[in-house]
Amino acid sequence: MALITVDHVGIGYGFPRRQVLENIQLTIEQGEFVCVLGQTGCGKSTLLRLLLGAEQPATGRILIDGVEHPRPDSTRGYVPQRYSLFPDKTVLANIMFGPEVTEFGLFKRVSPSFFRRRRELRAQALGYLRRIGLHDSDAHKYPDQLSGGMQQRVAVAQALMTSPRMLLMDEAFSALDAGTRRDMQTLIQDLWRATGTTVLFVTHNTEEALRIGTRVVVLAKNHPDRGSRVALDAVVPERSRAADLVKLAGDVECASAGDDAAGPSSRGRARRPQVSSVSGRGAAR
Amino acid sequence: MDMARLLIHARPGRAASMILSWVLFVVGIGAYVYIAQERHRENADERVTPTLTQIMRGMTDAVLQPAEEDEPAAPDATLRQRLFGSMLWRDTKATARRFAWAMLLLVPAVVLGLHMGVFPYVAAFFLRFTLFFDKIVALSLLPVLFIVFGIDELSKIALIVIGVAPTIVLDTFNLARSVPDEQVVKALTLGARDVEVAYRVVLPQILPRVLNGIRLNLKAVMLFLFAGEMIASTDGLAYRIALLRRHMGMDVIVPYVLWVALLLFLVDLGMRRANRLLHPWFREA
Repeated sequence: MALITVDHVGIGYGFPRRQVLENIQLTIEQGEFVCVLGQTGCGKSTLLRLLLGAEQPATGRILIDGVEHPRPDSTRGYVPQRYSLFPDKTVLANIMFGPEVTEFGLFKRVSPSFFRRRRELRAQALGYLRRIGLHDSDAHKYPDQLSGGMQQRVAVAQALMTSPRMLLMDEAFSALDAGTRRDMQTLIQDLWRATGTTVLFVTHNTEEALRIGTRVVVLAKNHPDRGSRVALDAVVPERSRAADLVKLAGDVECASAGDDAAGPSSRGRARRPQVSSVSGRGAAR
Repeated sequence: MDMARLLIHARPGRAASMILSWVLFVVGIGAYVYIAQERHRENADERVTPTLTQIMRGMTDAVLQPAEEDEPAAPDATLRQRLFGSMLWRDTKATARRFAWAMLLLVPAVVLGLHMGVFPYVAAFFLRFTLFFDKIVALSLLPVLFIVFGIDELSKIALIVIGVAPTIVLDTFNLARSVPDEQVVKALTLGARDVEVAYRVVLPQILPRVLNGIRLNLKAVMLFLFAGEMIASTDGLAYRIALLRRHMGMDVIVPYVLWVALLLFLVDLGMRRANRLLHPWFREA
């Protein structure tokens, strides 16, 4: 069974109703690295919020492992673009927050087992800290004292601590400068390979999507009054096949411009059976 | 000196800042002393502007002698007994007790505001009423309170709470609401339950601003406290000031006014220090 099934989902806001997403259909398998692309205002972030359960679809259903999860929970990790860390907690406390809050409610925090488990968690958190390229001395800093890139590194570690089935990232690297961004892309790919978690990565940057994803999904409106649909859904070819990559980049640009004349070849690629996408780089682990 | 260096780009040195910050104090005291002396030269029985000597004498009596209505101090009383039996000490204690009760009763106001900010149904229930209640001029309720609760402690503390609590509730509500949605969603995806989101994510990050809000309202607290004490009380700093007005006891009123200001200043300073100490991550404190 697919990990995520988006089944004829639509949503709109306001009165008169402005449709944002319309009839979205997607299936995402375990282990994929899906990049969602599209222009500003096309509903990328809305789709992510729907997948998170932070918003409910007006029509259709979203299934995780065949079950609806109508509110955010620990099946899905989340890394937003901003406000990703708790400002009042140190880096270490931020990373440990997930397991700590899951295992120990407000009242269990006095039991001896809490302190023992806390030591284990601390060791695990420090392990993550080093893995994301921070030093032990950063453990007791507050998020405010870290650069934007460092903050996002910690946010990724924080989300991974609870071993979620999937990681949902909303423009997570978009506020970073080019160099930091490149480092983060490498980091997230390494972590994705190592943990085997499914990643859904929302971005407006085609180059970024093609570099890190195994599959790209482009959302676009084909009429100004209608909601966005899936305009392109394609497997990202191997890095070595440069010509295919360039071609796909062109297709992505056309599709996100809402251009129906993206060419017959790209239409052929779009909405191909999902099984093929798993046979891409995602399954190579 | 270049004129521009004295304007926006000025960087006053430590000594210059120090001297400038005390100028108005010196000018104020100097002007008072001068006027008092001038007036006393014209009229030796002048009572509106007591000289420094008279103020010192009045203050020494206030610090060492009991109030007129109390038992006079035993001739062989130690300094310690004199201090703790003195008018100033007893008045301060009575006022401080009411002040402490009022501050304690602001804690539920913070809790209510927090819950309103986090849980929409709580806000739906309380918000409109609090907004209206906030507009009731608390002093206009004073007669009602005296009729209902009598003229004892309860009505005075109730006045303070009614006057200040709605402001604190609304302030906390707004602060809790302004916590980015990303933080709440993130906490939920890390496995936190709703109550934990309120008390472990939202409250800790708004607490320093809540404390600052309370600091801004300290004056309002004192205002209502003094109104209550002046109208119906048998002890307290404001009662004493109101009582001495009848005998034109300016030699005690002036130091009392300064003493109240100093106390309030110290409370404010203490809260600011505590805020910084408790929330090292908070930069605006």
